[in-house]
Amino acid sequence: MTVPNLSKISVAQLSGSVSPRAGFTGRDAKRIATAGYHAVMIIVVAAYIFPVVWAASMSLRTDANMFSADQLIPHPITLAHYEKLFTVLPDFWHYFGNTAVIAILGTAGTLFSSSLAGYALARFRFPGRQALLVTLLLTLMVPVQATLIPQYVIFRNLGWIDSPLPIIVPMLFGTAFASFFFRQFFLTLPRELEDAASIDGAGPWRSFFSVIVPLSGPAYLAMGLLTFVQLWNSFYVNSIYLSSQQNWVLTQALQSMVGRYDSQYGEIMAGVTLVSLPIVIGYLIFQRWIVRGIAMSGLAN
Amino acid sequence: MLFVLPQVVGLLLFIAVPLVASFGYSFTKWDLIAPDPTFIGLGNWAHLLQDGRIPAVLWNTAKFILLGTSSFLFFSLLAALLTYVPRRFVGVYRALLFLPYVISQIAVGIVWRWMFNSQTGPITLGVELFGIHSPAWLLDPATAILSIAAVTTWQAVGYGMTLYVAALQGVPTTLLEAATIDGANWFQRFRNVTLPMISPTVFFLMVTSLIGALQLFDPVVAMTTSNAGVAGAGGPSNSTRSIVLYMYNQMFNYSEQLSGLGYAAAIAWMLAILTFVISALQFFVSRRWVYYDGADRGRQRNPRKRRTRP
Repeated sequence: MTVPNLSKISVAQLSGSVSPRAGFTGRDAKRIATAGYHAVMIIVVAAYIFPVVWAASMSLRTDANMFSADQLIPHPITLAHYEKLFTVLPDFWHYFGNTAVIAILGTAGTLFSSSLAGYALARFRFPGRQALLVTLLLTLMVPVQATLIPQYVIFRNLGWIDSPLPIIVPMLFGTAFASFFFRQFFLTLPRELEDAASIDGAGPWRSFFSVIVPLSGPAYLAMGLLTFVQLWNSFYVNSIYLSSQQNWVLTQALQSMVGRYDSQYGEIMAGVTLVSLPIVIGYLIFQRWIVRGIAMSGLAN
Repeated sequence: MLFVLPQVVGLLLFIAVPLVASFGYSFTKWDLIAPDPTFIGLGNWAHLLQDGRIPAVLWNTAKFILLGTSSFLFFSLLAALLTYVPRRFVGVYRALLFLPYVISQIAVGIVWRWMFNSQTGPITLGVELFGIHSPAWLLDPATAILSIAAVTTWQAVGYGMTLYVAALQGVPTTLLEAATIDGANWFQRFRNVTLPMISPTVFFLMVTSLIGALQLFDPVVAMTTSNAGVAGAGGPSNSTRSIVLYMYNQMFNYSEQLSGLGYAAAIAWMLAILTFVISALQFFVSRRWVYYDGADRGRQRNPRKRRTRP
């Protein structure tokens, strides 16, 4: 009920237009209006994603064709810039691995800890519950920078600087955003689920892991995707902790090309494309889960 | 309570304690080379008030916030109004409008650096197609922060649209029909029915995007770095140097009398105070314009109060 199920609504109502003006116009006029709408939308959407498409296209062009307007689909197609990219950034796949490790471990840890916290906040009465909830919400207002320097000093004393640990370890404890998200989700599940389990003798842990978790796939998937994308794309925190080149993540490698290789658009755009491709493909596959997650997270207000 | 243990420990270790410690550091000077920070009293805070670069940094961030947040709120709503009515292909349009949001700000910034390029950039060429002399966008101090705000808006519109679509689909059709029967035209219906009903979403997007905008960093680095690396970002003529970028530069720069971790901590705390004051101000003003009695959404917003307690 809390989740506005966008995709289901659109599937169910695809056939009938619900435009408030539908009754006032004739059938033909309505058809023309629909065609006009789609024409406008196609132009708007095409213009909107033009930079993304054009960047990918540039990475496949020959240098001579780089700035030609008729090269949307490059002819001839060349992979030369990708080959060159791997000489500019010989450790590209290494950075890819570093990024994947941070994103996967950070996401797994966040899902585990935050869903536990979210479940307790949704279901149990315990001293300090209200305070914890308020603190979580207030935390969303604290800028990362305000906690950065002491964290940096702690991690430095632990000898963790220039390793992914300062980025992964805090995520293992869960994030305020994810905990609140899970709380909102678990509130929508009927209590009878656990009541039935507890009649069968299951304690809170058992009913959480064997009743609630299996039913919460969509929430885990949505939050997991959001967290993964955020970690994959992050730059600021990584640039603070990961100083030596072999420990870089992809965004740092990409950023390092700016300035040095400014005129080599082919290589730059090849880098941009390779770094974004896994996320874009993942997005196209899991699009409705990500969008649902975003819509759900909006209910935090 | 074992369930909340990790999250509570995390909050203490990585938020609460560092937040307080950060305040402590703001009264010290430390370059990480000396074994310990030196207590210097209010030195950093006094420096914050006298530092000639701070007003410019604040003004740059303020311009970014005003341009970025207002255009984000407006264009996301526009995109949602164009796509909230369920019909054929509307899902495809929404999916494509959302796409830039999942790409990293660094990658997006690099692509837009080229879009704004003064010789070959499509934006420049597009403007000159109309016979107007194009500004130099990222290279002109007058337009650089505006260009960055345009890019962050472009990237975030899909996110705002998604929340607006959910809100618009929750506006009760009975209210809109009643307004139509009363003779309200589409603008009156939008102004007097739709807008109040979606005002909680407008408010939520406004608060969260302002908090995010105050922490502007990645787009500036991606779009204004010259060959000097992150330290060289913030140009031209420091017109895009944001609060967080300035803090970053001060944190790892020990060449000035007061720069270093202590001064960076003071800047960070200034940012936290600004965030809190601006958010509190918005909550305060929101009572005048945010309408919380929307039938369904109101119930969700405060589920605690209406749930039977165990």
